[in-house]
Amino acid sequence: MPETRTSPAFRRAVLGLNGGPTDSLVVHVACELAKASRADLNAVHVVEVDWRHALTDVIPGCHERASAILDLAETTAERQKVAMTTTLLQARDVGAAIVDEAVAVEADLIILGLPYKKRFGGDFRFGQVVPYVLQNAPMAVWITREPVPAQAEPGRGAR
Amino acid sequence: MSGNPQQLRGRKPGDRRVRIERPQSAYFRHTGPGILTARAKTTEPTTRLGRGMAGVRNVLVGRPLASEQEMEERLPKKKALAIFSSDAISSSAYASEEILRVLVLAGPAAVLLSVEVSLGIVVLLTTVAISYRQVVFAYPQGGGSYSVARANFGQLPSLVAASALLIDYVMTVAVSTSSAVEQITSAIPELAPQAVLIAVAAIALITLGNLRGLREAGNIFALPTYLFVGSALLMIALGAFRVLVLGEGSPPPDPLPGAPSPLQPITLILLLRAFAGGAVALTGTEAIATGVRAFKPPESRNAATTLVIMAGLLGVLFMGMTFLASSYGVVPIDEPVKQTIPAQVAGIVYGANSIGFYLFQAFTALILFLAANTSFNAFPRLSAILAQDGYMPRQLSFRGDRLAYSRGIVALGVIAAALIVLFGGSTHALIPLYAVGVFIDFTISQSGMVKHWLETREPGWRRRMSINAFGCVLTAIVAVVVVLAKAPVSLLVIVLIPVLVTMMLFIHRHYARVASEQEVPSDVVVERSPRRRRVIIPIPGLTRAVEQAITVGRTIADDVTAVHITDDLDEAERVRYQFEHQVPGVRLVLVESPYRQLVGPFVSYVDVMDPDPETLTFVILPEYLVRHWWERYLHNQVAERLRHELIGRPNTVIISLPYRRDH
Repeated sequence: MPETRTSPAFRRAVLGLNGGPTDSLVVHVACELAKASRADLNAVHVVEVDWRHALTDVIPGCHERASAILDLAETTAERQKVAMTTTLLQARDVGAAIVDEAVAVEADLIILGLPYKKRFGGDFRFGQVVPYVLQNAPMAVWITREPVPAQAEPGRGAR
Repeated sequence: MSGNPQQLRGRKPGDRRVRIERPQSAYFRHTGPGILTARAKTTEPTTRLGRGMAGVRNVLVGRPLASEQEMEERLPKKKALAIFSSDAISSSAYASEEILRVLVLAGPAAVLLSVEVSLGIVVLLTTVAISYRQVVFAYPQGGGSYSVARANFGQLPSLVAASALLIDYVMTVAVSTSSAVEQITSAIPELAPQAVLIAVAAIALITLGNLRGLREAGNIFALPTYLFVGSALLMIALGAFRVLVLGEGSPPPDPLPGAPSPLQPITLILLLRAFAGGAVALTGTEAIATGVRAFKPPESRNAATTLVIMAGLLGVLFMGMTFLASSYGVVPIDEPVKQTIPAQVAGIVYGANSIGFYLFQAFTALILFLAANTSFNAFPRLSAILAQDGYMPRQLSFRGDRLAYSRGIVALGVIAAALIVLFGGSTHALIPLYAVGVFIDFTISQSGMVKHWLETREPGWRRRMSINAFGCVLTAIVAVVVVLAKAPVSLLVIVLIPVLVTMMLFIHRHYARVASEQEVPSDVVVERSPRRRRVIIPIPGLTRAVEQAITVGRTIADDVTAVHITDDLDEAERVRYQFEHQVPGVRLVLVESPYRQLVGPFVSYVDVMDPDPETLTFVILPEYLVRHWWERYLHNQVAERLRHELIGRPNTVIISLPYRRDH
């Protein structure tokens, strides 16, 4: 019987972090996988700059929050003894910035989180970033999905 | 917050991104809302000399460890046994001898009683070990007898227990090191003149090993401990087989020259003295209870298991050694060449001059050296707990780069080395001071546990309390016997304990007074002060440093006065001219000093001019920041003297404002 559970090896992965609930999941999964293949991780957070500001403007309050997001990821990686670099970007389009950064650092994998929206019956929030990266990234893309509350409870929902 | 943005093109036309540099990320990390954690880079030295010193320190002590790495530094049971038990286990090498030295005075037949006396000591050891096993669970924060006494009896008895322990830890280092050096100088007599030097060097090495941190100390000290335990257990097993199965053995030995008649009756006093002599085997038993927090979780369970293993090993080694010595009729020989009991027993069991004999001797010498290591773990921990409670200088509770209580380790090393130098490295001179404190400590600890059981009445409290009460009476008797048997030198410890207690109380009172002075009541809201502010700047003339001081002064208050003290009125007029043209809005006061003094007239000016007690005076001292050490002697001498004179003046803030040449 062929082995179907082996994770594909990667050399360098870019982790797209947005400060949301899936960040922790993305970092943990990436660290576990990176340990096995001794891969490098690059955590990327993109500050979306609207057209009222120049791309190079310092957006008040954003950089501290962004640093906190990246520092948290770095701390987690350090505890798991995985090499991680962090990159803070400003861009008009978050998805394009993640893909371009992954190409620039010669990553062979992008890992993103997909949060679950509980309101109005519950649904995954695909937004614009995930579809863009899926359609445009020249490398492999993994989406780490937030657990669906109904499925997470034993005995309820699909398992 | 961020550095210069760097614009980058994307793969598609119009896609742009800017990479934001985060230079601060090398120094600080966000760990929570409004919380920054300093990284290793913030503590890295910036000067060439500092970097060189840090490099040397890294080679000697190791690279600094972060607090979060503490768990990695905690000890597993195997290493903890080596670190905390070397003192207790090594005492099996000389405890039997201490008994035989006393009993042989009563004649050859009395030597046979050594087994019974040893059995009594093993009962005492078992009682003490069970008691401390209970302490480990009841007081998992560590501290041993001090914690027990503090919780049950309050301040004074706990400080007596702590003082007794501290003295004994110092004595353990001094006695075991000098004893080990004596083993070496017995084998190589040419080294005897350097005995003190060897002992001090050995203490320095052990200090260095401990400064490298717990785990590395465990790595260094584990092997010799296990080699000694292994070779001693093998010797006892082989010896016991030959005595019990093959029927080997010897009749009681001949009396020592000068000993009383062989028919002299064995008095109770003699038996008690033999018991007190052998009781040195128990020194170091409490070390595990002091250092519970050094163990990997679950700390209490692991510490308790290690304590039981240690007591078991010590009991077997001590009993086995006494049994073999008694069976083979071995007594201590001092002349013409000193022959210790373990050496004689090893000579019989392994064969004199055999490899087994020499290996056992080497391992025994090594474990005696390392017996000091137990104290190097227990003393700094107890000092740290005392410092946290405000009874010792606070510096003792700070952990060094390697998460070890570096200051306590260094303090112990220095005191023990000083004692060795003071006593000329003689074990004989040091030993009467040894083991006195430990039994006082055992007694206080066990009586504390009796009170603990009476108050908590946990399940099985009656049985547990009985064990502690029995141990308390037994150790109290031994304490009295040890003090009397080793008098008058032992009385020095009895004097030293109150001295230490007084010192600790003095420190505690000082910290309590300062804390009371510094306390901000909870109902006080710190608001902007409505008090009037004025700035006074002493100036030698109009310089860049003065210009900077005036700029800073203007941000503090509108009332800025520059004071120029001079004995040259022509020069003063030139300064006034400069000020009027170049520094508008700042009042310049020229003070003529016919006695050519600078500091006195300036301080008086601050004191008497506008002495409104409601006014807050800021004195800004412009200084020139020197680039080389020798420049310090050419600049800022007046500023230094002014600072010295003004510091502590009421309602006055002194600001040193260095000016850099490249600004």
